[in-house]
Amino acid sequence: MKTSTTPTRDAPQGFWLLRPGSLSLLVSRRGVWAGLLLALMTALVGVGNLSFGTPSLTPDQVLAALAGAGDPFNVFMLHELRLPRLTAGILSGAALGVGGCLLQTLARNRLATPGIIGIDDGATAFAVASIVAVPTSLAPPMLALVGAATAAALAFGLGGGGSRGYRFIVVGIAVGALFGALTNFMLARTDIDSANLAYPWTVGSLNARAPSTVVVLAACLVICLPIAKALGRQLQLLRFSDAVAIGLGTHVRHTRLAILVVTVFLTATAVAVAGPVGLVSLVAPEVARHLTGHRGVPIINSALAGALLMTAADWVGRTAFAPVEIPVGVITAIVGGPYLLWILLREPRMTGR
Amino acid sequence: MSKRRGRQLLHRTAIAGAGLAGVLMFASMLLGAGNLTPLESLHALLGQGSEDHRFIVFELRWPRTILAILVGVALGAAGTIMQAATRNPLAEPGLLGVSAGASFAVVLAIYYGADTAGVHFGIAILGALVGCFLVLLTTQMRGAGNDPVRLVLAGAAFSSILMSITTLILLHDQRTADEIRFWVIGALGGRPVSNLQWAVPGLLAGLAMVGATVAALAAMSLGEKVAMGLGHKPVFTRILAMTGVAVLVGTATAAAGPIAFAGLIVPYFARRLVGPDVRRALPIAMLIGPCVLLLADILSRLAVRPYELPIGIVTACIGAPVLIAVVRSHRLPRL
Repeated sequence: MKTSTTPTRDAPQGFWLLRPGSLSLLVSRRGVWAGLLLALMTALVGVGNLSFGTPSLTPDQVLAALAGAGDPFNVFMLHELRLPRLTAGILSGAALGVGGCLLQTLARNRLATPGIIGIDDGATAFAVASIVAVPTSLAPPMLALVGAATAAALAFGLGGGGSRGYRFIVVGIAVGALFGALTNFMLARTDIDSANLAYPWTVGSLNARAPSTVVVLAACLVICLPIAKALGRQLQLLRFSDAVAIGLGTHVRHTRLAILVVTVFLTATAVAVAGPVGLVSLVAPEVARHLTGHRGVPIINSALAGALLMTAADWVGRTAFAPVEIPVGVITAIVGGPYLLWILLREPRMTGR
Repeated sequence: MSKRRGRQLLHRTAIAGAGLAGVLMFASMLLGAGNLTPLESLHALLGQGSEDHRFIVFELRWPRTILAILVGVALGAAGTIMQAATRNPLAEPGLLGVSAGASFAVVLAIYYGADTAGVHFGIAILGALVGCFLVLLTTQMRGAGNDPVRLVLAGAAFSSILMSITTLILLHDQRTADEIRFWVIGALGGRPVSNLQWAVPGLLAGLAMVGATVAALAAMSLGEKVAMGLGHKPVFTRILAMTGVAVLVGTATAAAGPIAFAGLIVPYFARRLVGPDVRRALPIAMLIGPCVLLLADILSRLAVRPYELPIGIVTACIGAPVLIAVVRSHRLPRL
């Protein structure tokens, strides 16, 4: 970073220095502006999501219905159908974005996202199991958590702790393929009704999600986001080599483990709501990093970008081919897949090799 | 290993492989998901037993056994040659998106109204050809090309894009949805018998093309310069080999849908048995291929009786550990 030319004693260029009480905080100006921009766009897309559809409403009708006034049908539609769906989209997108950002930084590889290394598939397989194969009293989010943890442990255990570049990711792909086969196996075994019940889990869709899973996701976000933000400082040091990070006073193993646990929690609860919409966790941190100028680890901005992507994709899926609704996972795969290819083939050298 | 010992090993492995294939073929005729005991199947096989039993054995199990053998030969040979031509131990038609390209081409053709088996085969081969040349182009790129693992990732991304577009088509056009769904899931059962008459010439043509390149590929494993010094043409060889692979994969996909991981498992075992030389690995792979497919097919019939599993699930369960083993081996072997 360039040293500032103006003799400002209190803050480096591009930062604000906040001194609440005895604390001193450096706040990146660009990060704040990016966050505001993302939040504003998410709000706009959110309003769009609420108003467009069949039937479409004008923004003032939306506001009136949100407040509980106006046509009772509109009030019902907003409160019972569109608002829960929007909430689910925002929360799951935020969780996936943060999970992707954490894991990418941890593995020092942009491709190491929960969707690619099989954590999504693990969560999906176990959630489907809870519906079709093993009728347990455990709710899908709990089993999704078990599945995500299993997949993450397998990928990290077999892949050498994430420090071996692409091999770790291909091990993750193989783990994902195994869990995908398991999911298909269970879907093939059951009767058609259970299979239909479990189908949304396999494509990634925000349609008619159970409200209880959204509550679990919201609780998880409330707990995990501050932890992630607090870990961000150490995470920033982990971007250097292990030796440097240890020298600067990071407990590398503990930090890794904590980050992995947070990632698993966020991803599992998000998958329990939206199904495997993996590519959001690839693209959202990328957008956030681009907007914040590759400075630091953009946790909050990744969450906002994830929410924006998810709601926008859901909007497109809902309206593009109306009355047929396209699952949000299909939209993100069509947009995110070429982007993934571009990352892979374009850059001759990647970080972390 | 000396030349004589190598040849002995090859012969012994070939005999064992052929024996195993025969046993599995027999088992494939006897075992199944229906309520027909193996003994009843044996009676039916000998021409006795009731009309129904004979129908099950000869009209249902016999074609799919033959199909498993043809597809196994095609995928085993295609995987071996693809790995030799790209010098990449992870190259596999399913993983690199060639099978996905073939089945997607067929889906598009069905969407636009094609409905005869011959057209399907031609179009699948065309789609596989496009996929193969994309792979070949990628391997020539600096950076991405000499990293075996990155190629697999690119293939996964490519397949997922094609899969999503297929889902879009499925959602958009309910009329052809059933027919399309049939193509994007790999399965050996329930394929029309008329497939066989197209699969055999496709297989033979692909094998002829691939066979013509084997000597040159073996020389190229010593390095391009050496191969050129020995009078081979690396670029031409690579293009011919990949065209042959495309014909094989297209034929296999048109006959049975995309079956992932078969092209990875088979060459892996073939190389373990007879060493990395493609001239020895290819015939062994052509024997192991049918064994793997027959075994996977039998398992897919027995796992969830009275239903059947798609065979791709079984091959994924065998193939994913193999993939992990290959990637985990301390140094990726350069082919």
